[in-house]
Amino acid sequence: MAVAHPSALRPSFLRTLWANAVMAPKTTLGFMRIDFVLGTIFIIPLTQMVFFAFVVRLEAGGAAEVAFTALGNAVATVTYSSVFSVCQTTDSEKQQGTMEHLLVSPANRFALYLGRGLIPILISLATVSVGLLYASTFFGVHIDPSTIPAVAVSVVLTAFAMVGFGLLLGGVALYLRTSIILGNIFLFCGLLLSGVNFPLSALPLPLQYVGDALPLTWGLAAIRAAVAGTTGGPLELLWGAVALAGAISFGASISLWAVFERRALATGSIARF
Amino acid sequence: MSTAHARGYSGARSTRAALRLSLLQFMADPQWLIPSMIAPVIFGIVAFELFRGFGPYFLTYAILGAGMMSMWGQTLYGSGWATGQDREFGTLEPTIQAPTPYLYIVLGRVLWNVVSGLLGGAIVYAVVVAIAGAPPALPDPLGFVVLFLFVMLTLAAVGVVFAAFYVYTRYAGFIQNIGEFAFYVGTGCMFPVVLLPFWTSPVALFFPPTWALDALRYASIPGYVGFSWGFWPDIAGAVATTTAYLVLAGAIFHRVERHVLEVGNLDHY
Repeated sequence: MAVAHPSALRPSFLRTLWANAVMAPKTTLGFMRIDFVLGTIFIIPLTQMVFFAFVVRLEAGGAAEVAFTALGNAVATVTYSSVFSVCQTTDSEKQQGTMEHLLVSPANRFALYLGRGLIPILISLATVSVGLLYASTFFGVHIDPSTIPAVAVSVVLTAFAMVGFGLLLGGVALYLRTSIILGNIFLFCGLLLSGVNFPLSALPLPLQYVGDALPLTWGLAAIRAAVAGTTGGPLELLWGAVALAGAISFGASISLWAVFERRALATGSIARF
Repeated sequence: MSTAHARGYSGARSTRAALRLSLLQFMADPQWLIPSMIAPVIFGIVAFELFRGFGPYFLTYAILGAGMMSMWGQTLYGSGWATGQDREFGTLEPTIQAPTPYLYIVLGRVLWNVVSGLLGGAIVYAVVVAIAGAPPALPDPLGFVVLFLFVMLTLAAVGVVFAAFYVYTRYAGFIQNIGEFAFYVGTGCMFPVVLLPFWTSPVALFFPPTWALDALRYASIPGYVGFSWGFWPDIAGAVATTTAYLVLAGAIFHRVERHVLEVGNLDHY
């Protein structure tokens, strides 16, 4: 009897991509119940922006400072769906006992991880869009209609880069007992290190370098530049930086998973919850 | 035979047991303190950066606000998470069926939340003071500590009511995560509630910590402009609302326990 070559049994790239895009929100991604999704898109951006706008107002901040903070937080809320949610996939796999099966699966890893990130990318796009709408409607952020295409490109690039970063953290979490700590750290440290509430230059130099390593910093800079009407070279440079941050994150996450997969198969213990 | 034996349970012993179990769970996995600490510490540092150069008392705002957020986090997450975990593990039904009223179990957990909230507040204080390079200017440190503990008590009262509500709902996680900033805004964690639009005041005054925190700021920040009625009415309001919450919690727990036993669907996760 003829036996099929193992590579012939490997699911196709598109099938793996699609299966993960459809299944991950129902199984492993955190924050993916419809009430959470709607809350993440419509409630969190507004309440977070209101909170920081009033903090700025307490220190006698004017309209410009409030607008700066509101725009920063409108973009920063993307971390809920892109980082916190995606990062939890590792925990979920361990908790549900599916990690071992995943690790021995012949599925293409890039398709697997990219597929898991598709829905979070869409939710991230929606979150930032609604945040920008709030910023423009309630917090005096002026978004000229002519800048919308540039803003849209910046938002899409930021969403991709942030989901890549979430997958990277998910890879790190494979080695940890839980991803909750990592998720929380990067959920909120962007507020401090990415120029969300005050310019990055206000921080000590070492912290500025740390901020520069975060995709949110570049994504936010690109969105701020696009909203300010910057065009041409400077904006394209920022887009390049966001795209590079995203590519590095995706690449590093796949490399990291490969390393930990080998370790998991060698020790047989890493996938335990 | 004592009354406790006649009833088949001792409230104090049940509360102590719940407190001990919470402590043991914390010791087994102390990293749970970290998630509820990260946001307040970062918010405290962000507020400090925003307030830098605006006078010595803005440091008090930053520390007080971040400390309050830490304790809110412990209260909201601690109460909700415990009930949610009971439901997930299948221990909610046996706990409710036990002769001990569920209120005593929750009380033990809330007491632990108070302790860990204080621990969190101390960590926030240490981090922000280390970054600021000096402790906040406090006119009356002892009064500050006493009022701070009082604020904790008002938060605990809210935690008990929330815990009762969480038995009914599968949306505890939603309320905690999505409503987090709304609570911070509504109770004026980082800024006086009077800065908010006037129509929000009745909602904010519904929460005991709003009153208590306003009183604490009156006592610790010279020139503070909070509710126009001042310090003592704030204290009276905090005492009244806290008492109302505790009475309400007792009534709700009684009703919840009866209802869930009648309906019998607690194990539907």
